[in-house]
Amino acid sequence: MSAVTTWLSGLVRRRYGRMLPAVLGVSLTIALLAILGIFINASAATMTRRALGDVPVDWQIQLTPSANVDSIQQQLNKSARVRTVDPVGYADVSGFMAKSGGATLGSTTQTTGEGKVLGITPSYWKDFPAQLRPMLGTTEGILIAQQTAANLHVSVGDTVSIKRIGLPPVKARIDGVVDLPQADALFQAVGVPPGAAPQAPPDNVLVVPIAIWHQWFDQQAVVRTGTVHTQLHVRLDHTLPPDPRDAYVYVQQLANNFEARVAGSAIVADNLAARLDAVREDALYARVLFLFLGLPGAILAIILTFAVSATGGDRRRREQSLLRVRGATTSMILRLESLEAIVVSAAAVIIALVITVVIINRMVTIPLATRQTVVVLVIALAIGIGTALAAVIIPAWREARESSVRAGRARVGRDQAPFWERTWIDLILLAIAGLVYWRTAAAGYQIVLAPEGVAATSVSYESFLAPLALWIGVGLLVTRIFRHGLAGGRAFIANLFRPLAGGLSPIVAASVSRQARLITRGVVLVTLAFSFAVSTAVFNTTYNVQSRVDAALTNGSDVTITGTTAYPAGPLADSIAKLPGVRAVQAMMHRFAYVGNDLQDLYGVNALTIGEATDLSNAFFASNDAAGTMQKLAAQPDGALLSQETVNDFQLKLGDVINLRLQNAKDHQYHPVPFHFIGVVREFSTAPKDSFILANAGYVASQTGDTAREVVLIRGNVPPAQLAKSVEPLAATLPGARVTDLGSVLKTISSSLTAVDLHGLTWIELSFAILLIAGASGLVLGLGLIERRRDFALLAAMGAKARQLGAFLWTEGLIILISGMALGFVTGFAIAKMLVKVLTGVFDPAPQALAIPWVYLIVLIVAGCLSTALAIVIAQRVAQRRAVETLRTI
Amino acid sequence: MPSDLVAEAIDVGRVFGANGSEVVALQHATCRIQRGDRIALVGPSGSGKSTLLHLLAALDEPTTGTITWPALGERGTLRPSKISFVFQTESLLAPLTVLENIEVPRLLAGSNANEARNDASEILGALDLGALADKLPEEISGGQAQRAAVARSLITRPALILADEPTGQLDHHTAAHLLDLLLRRLEGSDTALVIATHDPVVAGRMKIQWTMDHGVLR
Repeated sequence: MSAVTTWLSGLVRRRYGRMLPAVLGVSLTIALLAILGIFINASAATMTRRALGDVPVDWQIQLTPSANVDSIQQQLNKSARVRTVDPVGYADVSGFMAKSGGATLGSTTQTTGEGKVLGITPSYWKDFPAQLRPMLGTTEGILIAQQTAANLHVSVGDTVSIKRIGLPPVKARIDGVVDLPQADALFQAVGVPPGAAPQAPPDNVLVVPIAIWHQWFDQQAVVRTGTVHTQLHVRLDHTLPPDPRDAYVYVQQLANNFEARVAGSAIVADNLAARLDAVREDALYARVLFLFLGLPGAILAIILTFAVSATGGDRRRREQSLLRVRGATTSMILRLESLEAIVVSAAAVIIALVITVVIINRMVTIPLATRQTVVVLVIALAIGIGTALAAVIIPAWREARESSVRAGRARVGRDQAPFWERTWIDLILLAIAGLVYWRTAAAGYQIVLAPEGVAATSVSYESFLAPLALWIGVGLLVTRIFRHGLAGGRAFIANLFRPLAGGLSPIVAASVSRQARLITRGVVLVTLAFSFAVSTAVFNTTYNVQSRVDAALTNGSDVTITGTTAYPAGPLADSIAKLPGVRAVQAMMHRFAYVGNDLQDLYGVNALTIGEATDLSNAFFASNDAAGTMQKLAAQPDGALLSQETVNDFQLKLGDVINLRLQNAKDHQYHPVPFHFIGVVREFSTAPKDSFILANAGYVASQTGDTAREVVLIRGNVPPAQLAKSVEPLAATLPGARVTDLGSVLKTISSSLTAVDLHGLTWIELSFAILLIAGASGLVLGLGLIERRRDFALLAAMGAKARQLGAFLWTEGLIILISGMALGFVTGFAIAKMLVKVLTGVFDPAPQALAIPWVYLIVLIVAGCLSTALAIVIAQRVAQRRAVETLRTI
Repeated sequence: MPSDLVAEAIDVGRVFGANGSEVVALQHATCRIQRGDRIALVGPSGSGKSTLLHLLAALDEPTTGTITWPALGERGTLRPSKISFVFQTESLLAPLTVLENIEVPRLLAGSNANEARNDASEILGALDLGALADKLPEEISGGQAQRAAVARSLITRPALILADEPTGQLDHHTAAHLLDLLLRRLEGSDTALVIATHDPVVAGRMKIQWTMDHGVLR
């Protein structure tokens, strides 16, 4: 049998116990990296899938008047894999007219302004179901938009006159009333540059079968070119790259290819790319988020593996000394040591793959792209195996270079300061952390850039440096302080631990002091492990709390009823207030107003009572005083709170008069209404993330002649889902009204980033963090103590009682645990604070304070204490029970 | 009147291992150690010398037979005050200096730190180790470390010192010097000394010779 096989056989049969910790460390590294990578890919794929699901029509291809529809369709099929294409006719009309009221009541005639008539195919409802929502009557024949029906005071069975441009009007009998939930996209201006001001959808719309539309408007297309056009509404095959950034580029290239093929005959309104464009930034943030949160764990697992491997130093020195005595060369020694690394790697890979498969199967429901998963696994395995090889071979190589057998036995040493300590790299890193953090803050915490419509995206990865440098810098600074503190603070340690060690305290302190290097290693590992766990847990909790705040902002309250202009929800408020479980009800206006050419959402509220039914955080207002701002609004009837963007764009100063254009109930036209700018609002319930206006409902009503309040916010004493159920029967009396509750909104929140379920990753990370803490506090301490079991066996042989032996062990254990835990908590909170600031873009709205997961933090402390206690008790028992055996075998 | 019988083994046996792989290290050993005895336990390697010493030091328990310490008391009270043990290999605590190593048994016995320090310094001087007081074990030679281990065995002024081949890894000159120091230190005291050795020169300086072969004490 060769030396190699003998060594290998010995390793596997007799030394598996000492390889196990290294195997676990490497397994954790591989599994964490693999799971993290797969999660990043899965989250990106989830975002892409959700984004695709959100798009009602992928492409709206607007044809030029001279275009040949068949030829365009052929080119379309060549450019992209198309699932469905429906032609849709768009015709501008001067307006609609209808008579209402019977002869006995005296009939009145209502006339609207300009409008549009759409022509759709019979299959359009099926092909693009999100575009039209039936409200009354049938879904076939002549359909009228609900707002138009309200304007004209018509319903099913009534007749509407359509005022064609350049042609005599035609009459149509209404078969149904519909809602157009995607009106913005449906009537978007095709061919305008990205970023152009959005165009308000028409108020007056009729939807008719395409055959009738042709009868009515083919002639108008001839007499008034430009008032009639045709669009192809396209649903593409959604087999796209899983990452939103790649999918965006791919879809954009498809559109470019199509436009090049049709050579100016058609223009694509690429809704799919626009949606993916909006998700790209979130995808980048998700990646950054996972890296920020997960990478330190993987780094810690690597450090832990090295630390675990280093605890075998004594054993390695003795083995190498024996091998050298028997004539082994350095290369032979390294070859033999490599075998251990290979065995560790092989076992770790198997365990890591099992862990990864089990967790991924439980956590990731989306089908994973094989190529990406393989790439992630290969990278994780390479890093893990590299760690195993380095952790075993580097110390072995270092030992092999020792000049003598005697030198090989040296353990305690009075070594000189390492390079980093002499060059103050710890303080330099902390300075770098501060500097990068300051720079990131100065840049408005914009670490992800995905400009709208631009294919290139960028992530300011240097922002990673702030928490990373802080983490490493703290680790090194703790090393410096403890190495010197323990070495020089013997008297202090003796006094501190006198209650535990009694008369032995001077000797215990001397032992601690001389093993400053080993104990410091433990302190640093525990500090890093706790800081990782604390920062991850605090960040994740803050993130989850903010997701709920985001959901509350999106939904407005526990339950929200959103009515329509024709059927506002406000009148239901009194009835709802009487329902059981309802604590507060507030009706709120949701209108639109033009600020210059910019169409913005306008919310009309009762400033003094709106807070009863919705959260008004100080952070929502630039003044940082929610109550004061709302009182100010109440005191100034024509006051308006505007977004910072609006204030900047129009160079407004507090007290300035700003004329907003609001739709008047009498003529349905937009008219200027003067408001006084009294403050800046950043967030408000149900309001969009960008610009909006907050004003007094009474003033808006008086100026527009319309008192309708479209939205009702309900706060309850019962769970939101239960409250929603009790409210639904009342809401059902309003055509088109939607009831949403906080819980359902949290699941389907519009921001795709917050929709990415961090719970799975959080669960994995927090579980790994507990394992890492157990490893850092218990395993490393335990292995260190077992490594020094000869000393403890000697003490036992000299007659040390359990209490006396415990004094040595507990002193070391407590120094490591308490110092590491305290420093870890402080550092963890600092890093969490830094992460929350650096990743401000992740939050909407930004949190006012960190959310603290008390239960988890207690679990961490218990895990650290238990693993430390376990390590000490085991070491104590080994030393006492097997003293002679230990002294014989070592 | 206190007994002079420091230790007594009656028909003691020690078997290691179990389930068919038993190794009989010691069988039917009977012996008595009186105060002031100087005993050499000789025999080839593997004859059971260390096993007998471990049993006499209460570091191990016999499989058969009984061991008692009539002059010293119960098993749990013997170390570190009444019995000291010197190991064959280096046995100093790595993180402590030579002086601190020597203090340890006194501190374990509950002595005052100053007394322990004074006594340790005195013994170091007596054994020509004063210059090594602040050295760490890894900074001294094997012979010096063994002398320090002997010094440590003396600090509690035990009734019985059991030394397991203390000179086994030393050259003749160093071994002789170490033995000189030990015997000189014990001159006039009633401390019993049992040294396991296969060196006839060392054995020759002891008054009583016990021989062991294949686990049997003769």
